[in-house]
Amino acid sequence: MQLVDMEFARSAEHVITARDAGLVACRRCARVWPMGTAICARCGSQLHSRDPKSLQRVWALWVAGLMFYIPANLYPMLQTRTLFDSSESTIIGGAIELAQSGSIGIAIVILVASVLIPVGKFMAIAFLALSVRRRGLLTPRQRHALYEIVEYVGRWSMVDVFVVAILSSLVQLSVVASINPGPASLTFAISVVFTMMSAQSLDSRLIWDEITDLKE
Amino acid sequence: MTTPPDIQITTARRSILQRLSIVWLIPVTTLLIALGVAWQSYSDRGPLIEITFESASGIKAGETVLRYRDVNVGIVEAVGFSPFLQEVHVSVRLDKTIAPFVDDDAEFWVVRPVVTAQGVSGLDTVLSGVFIEGLWNKTPSGLVASHVGLADAPLLRVGETGLQVVMRAQGSAVLGEGTPILFKGIKVGQLGKPRLGGNGSEAVADAIIYAPHDKLISSSTRFWDISGFSFKIGSGGAELDFSSLASLISGGITFENILSGGEQVTNGTQFAIYPDEAAARASIFSDSSGPTLELAVVFDENVSGLSAGSNVEYAGVQIGEVTSLRGIYDEVQFGDSRVRLLVAMEIRPERLGLAEGTTPDSALAFITDRVAEGLRARLATASILTGGLKVELVQVVDAPPAMVFVPDEGMPILPSTANNIQDVAATAQGVLQRINDLPIEELLGSAIVFLDDASALVASSDVQSVPGEIAGLIADARGVIGSEDVQKLPANLNALLAELQGTTTDLRRILDQIEQADTVARLLAAIDAASAASKDVGDAFVGVPDLMEQLSALTQTASALPLEKLVTDITTIVNTANDLLASEGAMALPEALSSALAEVDGVLAELRAGGVVENANRTFASTADAADAVAAASEGLPALVARIEALIDQASTTLADFSGSSEINRDVRSALREIEAAASAVASLSRALERRPNSIILGR
Ligand SMILES: [Zn+2]
Repeated sequence: MQLVDMEFARSAEHVITARDAGLVACRRCARVWPMGTAICARCGSQLHSRDPKSLQRVWALWVAGLMFYIPANLYPMLQTRTLFDSSESTIIGGAIELAQSGSIGIAIVILVASVLIPVGKFMAIAFLALSVRRRGLLTPRQRHALYEIVEYVGRWSMVDVFVVAILSSLVQLSVVASINPGPASLTFAISVVFTMMSAQSLDSRLIWDEITDLKE
Repeated sequence: MTTPPDIQITTARRSILQRLSIVWLIPVTTLLIALGVAWQSYSDRGPLIEITFESASGIKAGETVLRYRDVNVGIVEAVGFSPFLQEVHVSVRLDKTIAPFVDDDAEFWVVRPVVTAQGVSGLDTVLSGVFIEGLWNKTPSGLVASHVGLADAPLLRVGETGLQVVMRAQGSAVLGEGTPILFKGIKVGQLGKPRLGGNGSEAVADAIIYAPHDKLISSSTRFWDISGFSFKIGSGGAELDFSSLASLISGGITFENILSGGEQVTNGTQFAIYPDEAAARASIFSDSSGPTLELAVVFDENVSGLSAGSNVEYAGVQIGEVTSLRGIYDEVQFGDSRVRLLVAMEIRPERLGLAEGTTPDSALAFITDRVAEGLRARLATASILTGGLKVELVQVVDAPPAMVFVPDEGMPILPSTANNIQDVAATAQGVLQRINDLPIEELLGSAIVFLDDASALVASSDVQSVPGEIAGLIADARGVIGSEDVQKLPANLNALLAELQGTTTDLRRILDQIEQADTVARLLAAIDAASAASKDVGDAFVGVPDLMEQLSALTQTASALPLEKLVTDITTIVNTANDLLASEGAMALPEALSSALAEVDGVLAELRAGGVVENANRTFASTADAADAVAAASEGLPALVARIEALIDQASTTLADFSGSSEINRDVRSALREIEAAASAVASLSRALERRPNSIILGR
């Protein structure tokens, strides 16, 4: 449907939203109903021209995600125990250690995957949620693209957690060496889940409402 | 286009609960949980204490833990320095529950792996890294935030009680950390780390005696070193002595209560460690405890050999020592200008056998009394080898009267008597003289000559030809054995035996003849008849019972049957009977008796007529001849045996001289053994013949 929207937007000079046309689309089955219809007669879901609590959900989940992101950076992600030593490394600490020991490439990958992308996601979601109400720098089309990117990247945000899970299950050599997930891996995973839910809670139709506002 | 928002607003304003999304519960709950966790961890957080260490080797912030009885009770949060970098400050976050116990008494030390001769400790720290161990008592008396860490683990570990004493090493005794203190071979304590004590003249170490063995320690306990081993050779043989393998390597200390009735000691009491048991035992005589009596003696002689520390003895017991000595010159007091020897002494009253707690004054009174009885001080030799002297208090009989001189100032002066040095010196000289006089050189000369002779003898052709002699000897021995005499011996003996057997058969035949003749039965019957007759006679004749008795004896004798005796007995009886019969009274005997006696007579006559007695006599004579022949033969045997034995002796001696295990030697020895066996067989035969010649005759 969104692709259709995009194609449609590309072909048309300006975008006409469903609301402009006095219609309301079902978000579940995409059936279009006349404005004012409460319940989709095809699938039975509730019909809203705009989800009234969309932004609230976005912000609530965003806050929850951010709250979990803080301990994810403070607490160790990995607990590495070898015969003579045991070390715990946080995300940033581990990346710095790697960089100092020469593995700058890996350090950059970690930093991008665990810091840059989550932080960017937080900022993008916040930006999108804010720009619904306020005039922004970007056009609705650009913001929609941003939304698409956030949605797309979201599913790859668990890479860190996967790495930790794989390492923990592989490196269990009893006394000699073992790697265990630190508390940060759990909070990081929860944080990722919340940001994904937050991004999905955003009613993308809200992005386009501003255009109509601007037009007038 | 304001209407749609208006509609939305009016509908949303209906209720604040409806306007708010339920999703807000998620961050709110998260926040509440986070706050709760934060508050809880903050309120559960124990206090921070600071421990100062000389060095913090191995201590890592956030990793090194504080342990109490092997349980983690805290973690190091930071490691830093004191303001001028003298020490390391280690901040430890304590568990809240344990905090009140960490009071002034708390001790902290760093546990590191230690490998000593006694064993390995702290091995777990190799893997886990070092940790700080804490020790505190069980009474919570409030947290003290600042502590000074110990450089080493304290001797008394968690949960242990005991007596802490201080050991001072004297002489060659060596202190080592962890050196065990053994009592009867059981480890009852150990030493801590030794350090230099006093002004650096001795080594000092804390020591712990674990409960309940701490009760063994009293003021009369003496410790000594049992490190290493001792080896001595004495009249009882060689003796190697060491207490245990561990003490062999690392040393060990043992102790004993040398005196009885010591007092219980408290923590911190100092003990000396003596180099060996003898020194420890001797130490009770050199202990500077208790009051001492100071005395002086002036000796007329000024002899070298006495020094400060020399013994003062009374009746062979050391009662004190010389403290100082110097020359004294006092023309007024002594009447001449000679320099005399003034010896100051320290006497221990309790060693005089006086009761405990004797004051020096009462000891002086005691000595004064003894002096009145003749007690004098004199110089005597302590050691012949070193020429050292000692002061002896001796009872001198018929001593010129003297008394203890108590000057206004200084020590009381004991009277002295002639010294005992000359004698000892003379004795020593005498001993040496005698040693000198020993004809050692002559002895050695003779020994050398003897040895020369011996080697010459060994080398001589005589000795070399000994094997030849032995061969000759064996030939001799074979000659003896093969000689006609020896070879003939068995044949002679056989003939002898045959002869003897012949006689024996003769004898048997005679006896058979006697039995066949039924003489005995007939005699018995006759006697029975006689006794029956005499019964009939009754009491009329006094002599008859005697006859009866004789007859019964005869019967018995006849049964026993030595024939000759029987014959004489019978003759006697017959004679008696004849006498009786010839007597007047007998005339009246009934006829039956007469006939019975006549019958007896007849039997006897028959016996005589049959030549039985003569035969027997002849046989006996022949037997005696045979026995004589045997005896004569056996007389020759001992001589033969003696000859063989002498030969063997000679051979053995030669062989013994000619030592060796060569083939010929073995042959000779076995030959000799055979000869010996043969000789002993001959000897035993001859002995048997000497002892019981009859055995051959009678076949038993
Ligand atoms: Zn529908």
